[in-house]
Amino acid sequence: MIGMAMLDLHPRVAATTILERRELADGVVLLTLHAPELANATQPGQYLMVIPPSGEAAATALAVYEAEGKRVSILFFVTGKRTRELATLACGDRLDVLGPLGNGFDCSGDTRDVAIVAGGVGIASVWLCARELLRRGAHVRLFYGARTAELLVDAQRFADAGCELVLATDDGTRGERGFVTDTLVRSQRPELIYACGPSPMLRRVGEIASGFGVRAQLSLEETFGCGVGGCWGCVVPLSNASAQAPSFPPAERGGSDVVYARICKEGPVFWAHELRW
Amino acid sequence: MGARTAVVNPQPALAIKLGKLELAFPTLMGSGCYGSGEEFAPFADLSKIGAIVLKSVTRLPRLGNPTPRLVHTPAGMLNAIGLQNPGIEWYLERELHKYAGRPCKIVGSVAGFEIDDYAYVCERLAARDEIEAIELNVSCPNVAREGETFGCDPDLTARVVEAARATTNKTLIVKLSPNVTDIVAIARQAENSGADALAVINTVRGMAIDVETWRPRLGNINGGLSGPAIRPIAVLAVYEIAQAVSIPIVGQGGIETLADALEFFLAGATAISIGTANFTDPRIPERLVAELQAYLTRRNIASIQEIVGQAHVEIATPHQYEGDEG
Repeated sequence: MIGMAMLDLHPRVAATTILERRELADGVVLLTLHAPELANATQPGQYLMVIPPSGEAAATALAVYEAEGKRVSILFFVTGKRTRELATLACGDRLDVLGPLGNGFDCSGDTRDVAIVAGGVGIASVWLCARELLRRGAHVRLFYGARTAELLVDAQRFADAGCELVLATDDGTRGERGFVTDTLVRSQRPELIYACGPSPMLRRVGEIASGFGVRAQLSLEETFGCGVGGCWGCVVPLSNASAQAPSFPPAERGGSDVVYARICKEGPVFWAHELRW
Repeated sequence: MGARTAVVNPQPALAIKLGKLELAFPTLMGSGCYGSGEEFAPFADLSKIGAIVLKSVTRLPRLGNPTPRLVHTPAGMLNAIGLQNPGIEWYLERELHKYAGRPCKIVGSVAGFEIDDYAYVCERLAARDEIEAIELNVSCPNVAREGETFGCDPDLTARVVEAARATTNKTLIVKLSPNVTDIVAIARQAENSGADALAVINTVRGMAIDVETWRPRLGNINGGLSGPAIRPIAVLAVYEIAQAVSIPIVGQGGIETLADALEFFLAGATAISIGTANFTDPRIPERLVAELQAYLTRRNIASIQEIVGQAHVEIATPHQYEGDEG
């Protein structure tokens, strides 16, 4: 999808029902939704705008973690007012969402050896990506980091699916002590890197990819406004030559070589070498 | 009863006029909040809204502000987008075709840094058939230079409106800043200079600070506050301006519910504009139209225009405190 910025994925308003609520760790919630119209349409790395049931705040952008059959699931850390409200929902509750949204990971190549890097809740964006790459026969190494062992949620699930795990925690309670990018830089060079996590981690992944001489697809996070491309609030500087660049005149016509692209619309996944952040 | 059911009212009229601009519904989508409309088309029925006010366009391309550009705050949000746009030439050439055939009216928005910018961009934009009216953004608080100067000075406002007025006969809406000492004086100047309608209000200046990093949370340091947090400020501005001018007002600032919308009509707004609420749920504008319709039917009111300004009252006893007359 990345690089084919205007692919029409037919997003919609979907009225879903919560089928299952699981707390994977303290403050980490997995909601499984009955959403047949989303399950088939969602591509790896896409997200939903979740409309707050109270109507008392802006909608929340959350990655689609799993999409299978008639179900999609969202996985989130409870960090503020909006995720706290979502965490109070129970089975049978209704939840309206917009989606699927954004240009996700391109898993279509025939790459044999890939690295996926996930930091914290970034794991939620990469499951569909890992599953698709494994289905295509790739060897997938998952470099997965979190603050502490308990927050390395669902690591076993990736291992069971066939990923080779490299784990890291800030406090050393599981895997290597330190940043997950420190394990990546010492590892054998992959052919392609996929990553989702906090911006400092993604910048470092971009540097490491550059050092390896390989390309990386980064799924960015930012505070969203509308989440559908209407407000230009969630942007990142991007090469104007990128296929994902929004319509903007080039420097020779009074514009610029670098433009701000919407993370919600042109992204959230961008090629690391095209970012100018 | 039988006799009455035979003369059941047709649906109450929600249609309104802003100058020459006729709208089927009294709802506009706020500039900068709704893209070109196409972004929201999968989630909202554009045939159930009055008009989309497009994102402001300037004479030259603008990259926009550094990031972060948004911060969620209690009952609202701060934004500092910085008028990112490709400039009028590119816009006319590459963007404007998108607006043809929309099932609602399209209002162009013009921003600038010199009086001549406004006139130039207004003329180019208003000349196009896709654009049915022009909003003059004299009040963007999020640009580093003299962005808000025009809207904060009655005389500069007058000169901008006069310059734009000279370029087009299409409806001119002037969007006013609340970040002024006397918004009523500026409203009067805009009316006297040829404005057909006023948009009241733009965002309220504000900032937020990250207490971990000790740094401003917006890349631009300051931004514009929108959402329910500013609604009482906007309602008062509409109330006071409505008593001072005779041109219609588009009320805006944190409208989410039927009650919010009614407050603005009762304060004196002929139409309302919805911005930040679209970020909560893009179905809100359509829901508001249905609820307004039901409200008028229930109260047996034939037209939305009948309730405009109905909250206006005199203070019963202006000199209620001893000594005030002194």
